Amino acid sequence: MKRRVLILCSILFVASLAFAAPKAGSIVTVRVLTAKVMKAPKFIGPAAGDVSRGAQLTFQEAKGDWYRVGGTVTGWIHKTNLTERQVTLSSKPGGDGAGNASRDEVELAGRGFTPQVEGEYRNKNPNLDFSHVDKIEKTSIDPAELEAFVTEGKLGGAE
Amino acid sequence: MKKILLGAAITLAACQLQLTPDSIGKAYKGIKEARKDLTPENEYYVGRAVATNILAKSDYKYRDAAGFDSGKLAGMTAYINAVGSVVALSSLDVKHADDRPTPLAGWHFVILADSTINAFAAPGGFIFVTMGAIEQAGSEDELAAILAHEVAHVRRGHALGSIKKSRFAGVMKETMDSTVTLDQQALGDLTNVFNGAMDDMTDSLLVKGYSRDTEFEADSVGLEIMIRAGYDPAAFVAYLKKLNAHQATGSGGFSATHPKAADRIAKLEKKVAQASKVKVPATRTKRFKAATSDLE
Repeated sequence: MKRRVLILCSILFVASLAFAAPKAGSIVTVRVLTAKVMKAPKFIGPAAGDVSRGAQLTFQEAKGDWYRVGGTVTGWIHKTNLTERQVTLSSKPGGDGAGNASRDEVELAGRGFTPQVEGEYRNKNPNLDFSHVDKIEKTSIDPAELEAFVTEGKLGGAE
Repeated sequence: MKKILLGAAITLAACQLQLTPDSIGKAYKGIKEARKDLTPENEYYVGRAVATNILAKSDYKYRDAAGFDSGKLAGMTAYINAVGSVVALSSLDVKHADDRPTPLAGWHFVILADSTINAFAAPGGFIFVTMGAIEQAGSEDELAAILAHEVAHVRRGHALGSIKKSRFAGVMKETMDSTVTLDQQALGDLTNVFNGAMDDMTDSLLVKGYSRDTEFEADSVGLEIMIRAGYDPAAFVAYLKKLNAHQATGSGGFSATHPKAADRIAKLEKKVAQASKVKVPATRTKRFKAATSDLE
């Protein structure tokens, strides 16, 4: 019984470490290609600005899954857009197309599929035209316009 | 029970370790399940290639290509991206174990110029809906049901899960062990894995479809997402009833890759009955009609 309690306590302790927010003042790094830093901790509403992959921000406080950060822009960013470490990332996931990647990049992204692998795949499949997906992935919706859309449609939206 | 608890403790402790490429390589015993082990960066490249294969299958014919070119979407494409964004962002509040993380390039919704009824979700947040599928939808809420089902496929990593485990056998360990620059051999091996993964995923998406249970899960999670977004859950069943009527007379499209709509309805009806009723405002009906007016 005692051992079971001990095991349970160790799980709870480790779990608390795993899900804890960073310490105030620590650096977090943007992992997605671009993300909105919002004026309030919600996806839909006015944005304070944009940040790109590799941007390093200072963590200030957490509210649920949202982190208040400072740096080139101050506001709230959803934690799924970040890696909670100070790492050096290139703007292109997995390093440049020539096979150069920082140690941080490799540790975070895993070796797996990289721009180099995509390049090889494209060489082997010259009939595939990647220019369309290049354009599609660059489009985004203005969160303020989305807020108007949600309000007009009386939707719940995402917090 | 003790073994399970100890295993959980070890797994959680491992999450705290700072793994170097060398230590990852040494610890790596081959991929267990692609959807869990592929990083968001891996998913990003897989998603781009799957999306390109889907577009190629449609001869790159999709609506508002000029809008995607300029970065300023218009008309029905702008509308479907607004509905899709509400659904996709709401999906982050609907959490399940082993959900895939936020797509690195965000969520994108594309209307294929194809009169068959179908929709596809590539990994990495690329969602494709045919004109035929939109024509069947009678409201914004029914459109949201289509998109929520597809978003659920991405969040649950269904396409990645269709990659055969054998694709990775004996390859990933060596490439994980490699130094920062890949040699030609490793690059070739990885490209072969990538190529095989593409075959597996496009086969599941475009030809054979997923398993029945996978589709039922996408329906169930999709319904949760719809409810979180504030859409009418009854619209999900309403749309499936239209598909059911279509399946009685038609074939191909979604019929070739999805379970019978009647079975899907049977699985969802109880959950819909238990959900709170949603009164759809007139503004939502009005804007759906405006956005889809050029379909008529």
